[in-house]
Amino acid sequence: MGKNYPVLDWPAVPTPSPEEVYKGESDKAKEYALWLEENLRQSKNFEKPEALGNIRVLDCSNTMIIGHWCSSLFAELGAEVIMVEPPGGDPLRKLTPFGRKEYMFKDSESGEEVGARFLAEARSKQAITLDLTKPEGREILKKLAAHADVIIENAPPGQWDEWGIGYRQLSQINPRLVYCWVGQLGQWGPLKDKPGNLDPTAQAACGFVHGTGAPVAFGGTPTRSGWWMCDQVGGTGAAIGIMTALNYRDKVSGRGQFVEATGAAGVIRILDYNWGWYGIDGSIRPRYGNWDLAICIYAVNPCKDGQIMVGGGHDRLWFRIWRTAGKDRPEVEQHIIEDPNLKEVTGRLPHYRQVETYTTLCEWMKDNTRSEAETKLQAEEVASGGVSFLDEVSEFPHYKYRGHLEIIDDVFYGKVLIGASAFLGQRTPGRVKWIGRPTGHDNEEVYRGLLGFTKAGLDALKQKGVV
Amino acid sequence: MAETLSFEEFCRDVFDPKKIFSKPEPLKGTRFLSCTQYILGPSCANYLAELGAEVIKIELPRRGEPMRHTTPFNEPKLYPLSKQMPELGTGLGFYGANHNEYFLSVDFHKPEGQAIVKMLASKCDGVVENYRAGTFDRWGIGYRQLSQINPRIIYQWLGGFGGWGPGRKRASYDILGQAQGGCFSVTGWPLDKGGLPAKQTIWIMDYWGGMMGAFQILACMYWRDNVSGLGNFMEYSQVQGAQRHLSDCIALYGRYGLVPQRWGNYDTLLSVHGIIKCGKSSYPDSKNPQELEEGYILVSAYSDADFGKLMRLIKRDDLAKKYATHDQRVKAESQYELYPAIEAWAKDKTKEQARDILNKEGINNQPVWNSKEVSNQEHFHLRGELEWLDDPTFGEVQSQGPAFHLSETPPRHKWALKPVGADNEYILGKLCGFSKTKIAELEADAII
Repeated sequence: MGKNYPVLDWPAVPTPSPEEVYKGESDKAKEYALWLEENLRQSKNFEKPEALGNIRVLDCSNTMIIGHWCSSLFAELGAEVIMVEPPGGDPLRKLTPFGRKEYMFKDSESGEEVGARFLAEARSKQAITLDLTKPEGREILKKLAAHADVIIENAPPGQWDEWGIGYRQLSQINPRLVYCWVGQLGQWGPLKDKPGNLDPTAQAACGFVHGTGAPVAFGGTPTRSGWWMCDQVGGTGAAIGIMTALNYRDKVSGRGQFVEATGAAGVIRILDYNWGWYGIDGSIRPRYGNWDLAICIYAVNPCKDGQIMVGGGHDRLWFRIWRTAGKDRPEVEQHIIEDPNLKEVTGRLPHYRQVETYTTLCEWMKDNTRSEAETKLQAEEVASGGVSFLDEVSEFPHYKYRGHLEIIDDVFYGKVLIGASAFLGQRTPGRVKWIGRPTGHDNEEVYRGLLGFTKAGLDALKQKGVV
Repeated sequence: MAETLSFEEFCRDVFDPKKIFSKPEPLKGTRFLSCTQYILGPSCANYLAELGAEVIKIELPRRGEPMRHTTPFNEPKLYPLSKQMPELGTGLGFYGANHNEYFLSVDFHKPEGQAIVKMLASKCDGVVENYRAGTFDRWGIGYRQLSQINPRIIYQWLGGFGGWGPGRKRASYDILGQAQGGCFSVTGWPLDKGGLPAKQTIWIMDYWGGMMGAFQILACMYWRDNVSGLGNFMEYSQVQGAQRHLSDCIALYGRYGLVPQRWGNYDTLLSVHGIIKCGKSSYPDSKNPQELEEGYILVSAYSDADFGKLMRLIKRDDLAKKYATHDQRVKAESQYELYPAIEAWAKDKTKEQARDILNKEGINNQPVWNSKEVSNQEHFHLRGELEWLDDPTFGEVQSQGPAFHLSETPPRHKWALKPVGADNEYILGKLCGFSKTKIAELEADAII
C-alpha cells in the first residue's frame, strides 16, 4: 500500500510473432489458419469497405449504457453515429469507479475529464449537445431527425411523445426513420420504467440476480453481474431490432418503424430454460454457484493458486479428464471410473453426483496451479482455463496476437487501451477509428454542415444554452 | 386515430403481442443453414428464425446435438427425442436456442451428407456454423467451397478462441469464455465479504455472443443487398466477446495499471445503487427451501435528493450529512457504511414491504425476483416477453419471447423445438427433390 509502482507500457510482454506461433507446423496443418489470418487480420481493416457506411444514427440516450452500447455496434460497422448529449455532456461522462478522478481520461485540449465507462462506448462517434428541455432544442432535433436513419433514445416513458418529438411525430417528418426506445423494463405496461431506473434494475427483475452466486448452503447470496450486463445484452437486442428494421425498409417497405428494447427483455430471452422449467413442474431455478445445473463436468472450482474451469459434458472428454488426473493421483481416477452411478452422461447430473464429481476432481486440482492444470488438461484436448484477472487477460498472448485488445492513439485522449471490435470479417470487418470526443466537439460540423446554421446563429444558440 | 390515443395506449396497440401474427415477417424469403451445436451457434441462427428466416438446423441423426442431452439435474425433458429413439427426450438445455427452426438430420462425416449440405447451401442466404475451425473446410463444405457454389453466401463462424493464433486449437465453452475472458474476475463479492469470482447464471457468452453474430449477419446482408451483392465470411470469438464487454476495465488497466476487482451487489460508479438483504422471507410457509430464504431488493437513490430522502426514511440523517455529495458516498469505504445501514432498516421487512415503503417515498427500487415470481408478472406476459406457447409437438410450454419489439414486423415464436430429423421429408423434398423412398433409404443408412 502506498508504494507507487511504475505503469508499464502495454504490452508488458511482447506479442508473439507468426513465426513463433506456427513454428514446427506442416504447411498443411497451418494452411487454413493462415488463410483466416490473411482474410481476417485487423491490420487490414482500413483497406476494406464498411457494411453500414450509408447509415446515420442519432444516439440521444444518456445516463445509462444500453443506448451507447447499441450505437457502438453500429459505429464499429461503419455507421455515422452522432451522440446528442445535454449541454454539459452526458452525466455518464463524469462517473469513475469510486469517484476516483485520478483515474479519468483527460482531453488534452480543453482539460475536460471523462470516465472509462463512458469513453469505452464513445468509440468512433461524434459528440454534439442539445437541450431538449427547451422548445427550441426540440425544433432542432426535428431538423436532425430528417437527416437520420436511426434515432435511439431512453427518456422516461412518453417524455418525447409529450414533447412532440416521439415516434408518432418524427415518423411524420421522416417516414424512413427507425426510432428505438431503450430502457430497463419498458415504456409501457404495469412495471414501466420510472425516471432514473438504471441497470441492475433489469438484472434484479428478470431472475438473473436470483440465479447468480452460490446457494445459501454454500455461503452464497443472490449476486448481480459485475458490470451493467443487462444494458449490454439489451443494447445488443436493440441493435438487432434496428438492423432488421433497416433491412426491411430498404428491401421491402421503404418505411421505418418503432423499436423497443429493454435490459429485462434481452436477458429474459437468453435465460435458457428458466421459463420452460417453471412451466413444466413449477421448479424455481436455484443458484448453483460456479457449477452448472445441466452439464457435468462443466464448472469452475478452486485449485492451488485460484480457480480453474474444466469442461467435459460428454464421455470422450469425461474419461480424458479423469485420465489426466489419474496420472498424478491414480486413486482419484479409480474412484470415479469404478462408480457405476457415474457411467452415464445424464447420471452425473443429480446434485449429489455433482458434489461427488467435483470434490473428487478438487482432490487432484488442489495440488495444481491454474497453469499446471491447464497445461495437463489441454494436452488431452480438454476445455480448461484459469479464472483470469484483467491484467492477465490484457497480457494473454492469444488475445494480443489476435488483436482482441488494441491501443487507440487518440487526438484528444492520448493512448487508450480498449477491447477492440469483436466483428471480424473478410469483407466488412468492424473497426474503431477514434476513442471518443469531448463534449460538444462536433457542434460546429453537425449544426453548420448538416443543418446549415450560420456562425452567428450557432453562437446565439450557445448563448441561450440550447446547445 | 393514433393521435387520439395516449402514449401508453398507442404503445400497447403497436406492440400488442396478440397482433403479431397479422403482421409481416421481416426476414421472410431468406434461408439459413444452422450447422451448429451447444448454444453459441444455435442461438445465433435462432435469432434469425424469430425474424422469419427459414432456418434449417442440421444435427447428427438419431441422437441429435449434445445440448439435447443436458437438462437441470437430469429432470425435465420433452419427448420424443427422435423417431428412432422415442423413449428418450430432449433436455431443457436445448430449449431457448432453437425456436422456429426446421430440423434436418445429416451426418456431415459421410460424402452423401456433405453433398446434401452443398445442395442446400446453393439455395441459402447464409450459413451459421460452430464446429472446430477448419473442420467444415476439411469436409469440403466450408466457406471456401460453398462460396464457389454461391457467391452471395454469408458465412458466420462462431467459436471459442477463433481459428488462428497461438490458442486456436483450444476447445471452449461459455463458462471458459467467462473465466478466461475476465468476466468472473469482476463478478461476486470481494474476499473480505466472503466471496469468490463468480459466473453469470446464464450461458451469457454463448447466448449474447450469438446475438453479436446475428447482428453482424444482418449488417452483412444489408451490405450485400444494398451495396455490393457480395457474400462474406465472419469469425466471432467468444473469449473476444468478453474483452469487448469489459472494454472500460481494460482501459483502466492500460492507462493506470489498475486491475478492476469484484464489488458484490454494490456499484462501483453510483451510490446508493445496490442490492441489499431484507430480513424476512416473503413466503414463510412455503415448502420450497428457496422461498424460505430472506428477500433481496435493489435500492437506487444516487441523486442528492433521492439519497436525502432515503437517509431520512431509515432515520440516518447523520449519514445524509456525512455523505452529502455523490463523490463522497461513492467511495468504497462510504459504501461499506451505507449499505449495512440500509440493511439494518430492512431487517424486519420482507422485500415487498421494503418495496411498498420505498415506492411511497418515490425511491427507485426493484425486488430480486426468482423465476417463479418473474413468470407471474403480468407485465412480461402482457408485453410478450414471456408467453404460453401452444407448441405443435409438445403442447403448452412456457417460453421466453424475443429480446426486442418491432411495431411493423415483429419477431415471434411459432414453436419451441421439434424432434431430431422431424423435417427431413419436408426440407429434402422441397430443396433437394428427394423422393420418399430415397429419404427412407438415407434414414436407414443413418446418413440422415
